[in-house]
Amino acid sequence: MGSAVEQYIKLRRRRFYAVTVLIALSLIAVFMLHLALGVEIRNPIDVLVKGFSDIVSSSSSIERYRVQRALAGVAVGAALAVSGYLIQIASRNPLGDPYLLGISSGALFAVVISFTLPISAALMSVARPVAALIGGIGAYALTLYIAGRAGMTPTTLVLSGVAVGTFFYSISILPQYLFIQNLQMVFAWSQGSLVAASVWEVAAVASAVIIGTIYALMNFSVLNALTVSDDFVRDMGKDPSSLRRTITFLSALLASLTVAWFGIIGFVGLASPHLARRLLKSGESLYVLPIALMGGSLLVLGADSIAKYLFLPMDLPVNIIASLIGAPALATILVGMRKRA
Amino acid sequence: MLKLNDVTVRYGQFTALDGVTVRVGQGVTLILGPNGAGKTTLLKAVSGIVRYEGSVKISGKEVRNLSLALKGKYVSYVPPTVTAMPEMNIGDLILTDYSINHDLLEKYVQILELKHLLSRRLWEVSSGELARALLARGLARGSTVIAVDEPLSHIDIKHQLRLLKELRALGRTGKVVLIASNQLNPALTYSDYVLALKGGKAVFFGSVKEFLETDILSSIYGVKVKVVTEDGLIDVIPIDVA
Repeated sequence: MGSAVEQYIKLRRRRFYAVTVLIALSLIAVFMLHLALGVEIRNPIDVLVKGFSDIVSSSSSIERYRVQRALAGVAVGAALAVSGYLIQIASRNPLGDPYLLGISSGALFAVVISFTLPISAALMSVARPVAALIGGIGAYALTLYIAGRAGMTPTTLVLSGVAVGTFFYSISILPQYLFIQNLQMVFAWSQGSLVAASVWEVAAVASAVIIGTIYALMNFSVLNALTVSDDFVRDMGKDPSSLRRTITFLSALLASLTVAWFGIIGFVGLASPHLARRLLKSGESLYVLPIALMGGSLLVLGADSIAKYLFLPMDLPVNIIASLIGAPALATILVGMRKRA
Repeated sequence: MLKLNDVTVRYGQFTALDGVTVRVGQGVTLILGPNGAGKTTLLKAVSGIVRYEGSVKISGKEVRNLSLALKGKYVSYVPPTVTAMPEMNIGDLILTDYSINHDLLEKYVQILELKHLLSRRLWEVSSGELARALLARGLARGSTVIAVDEPLSHIDIKHQLRLLKELRALGRTGKVVLIASNQLNPALTYSDYVLALKGGKAVFFGSVKEFLETDILSSIYGVKVKVVTEDGLIDVIPIDVA
């Protein structure tokens, strides 16, 4: 008797290993490419070695700047991917994405408001992520409220998110023009930029990724149950509503932290888990998470490589390139969803 | 052995299950009653999925106190359908259970003919195929009490018969099988006992034979019925609304 389930489990696991190798190698390649590119093309190994030693000795150099920017890309991409993965599970919605659901724009708005406040630079470094988190969660609460009143479906949730996001995005432009002196820098930030990454900002985002990932991996069987049915979560003695609140909070935290320092980078949260499920041909949470995480880093680093090199000496906002990749991904998922109707 | 003592379940102001006391032994018990009678709620209380007042004991253990490590051995709830994240496969869905016995799972994948469906996405399968997958998932725990909610509504007659025969066989090997269903044909034929609910209260519990000697069927559904029994098969024919 051929054991069908065992074969399926083996097939799924083998595909996971293969996809892990594929994505990890691509990530390393794009990371090296990103380090190499710039006004001057350099050997990425040299950049890496010199950059790291400059970070350790806290001296500034072009190499250090390149390494920090690349690491920021890895951390931000991973954070957005984990954020999207968590919110997709929480809303049981393949269209879940912190940008599409209004979280990122809410965070952006709150950070812009905090810029107009008369607070010291030291306080600002704390105020920025806190404001972003409050703004992100507030905006998502509004999205949920509107979607709830519109009869919660995957589509109404996204449409409510787009309404809320557009609103907050637009009103966050206004104070940028009216009150802020360093307009160009703020504008570049709000459009998504890894340029000004500092070591501790990257470390903060990376820590949030690690926390979110550990939480998800430790709870993967409950998360799996949540992807199927609330009753299966209750069967495991857990309350699905409080589980949703926890993972939604983690998702908003991850997305808001990236917005606080690196601005809005849309669609990565949507595309990465989707890409992972496509490549794995499976929706198993335990496998989707690590692939989505690396996929997010890959997408952001890839987009930023194009953004910083294609129009030299101009440095484009990474969001423009990310959206060029992400918007078709959204279209693909939407078309795919039609099959299910 | 499953013992319910004065089990009440409330959803806000609404009392879905109202003081049900019953002892159910091994074998297949068909839980019937009109829509909203409390069939699903009873199964969910027995499975510890909803909060209940009173006591639900399986082999002497209170369900709400069962640890996660033990729970799967005692009880398994099988929903009629789910609205899962669409990008999962049938295989992923089945394997989401935390307490699955792989040998049993293999057996039910054979019986319910799921092998060719394991790699299919959920949107590529019919509601009957999804229902069969959920059944395989639930049965593969090998629990003492198996609570199956409306298993017959989506699946075709061949798989209905296979499922009912398997559930009857499980009942004969000591399992307490609860089937909530309004598909009296063919469910009654394969059941040993009937638990009839109306308005959240238990109005009858006894053997199928005893049940058919009463007119409870007509009274709880408000429908005149004719019951035909032949060659061990039971057929309920609704004649008119009473």
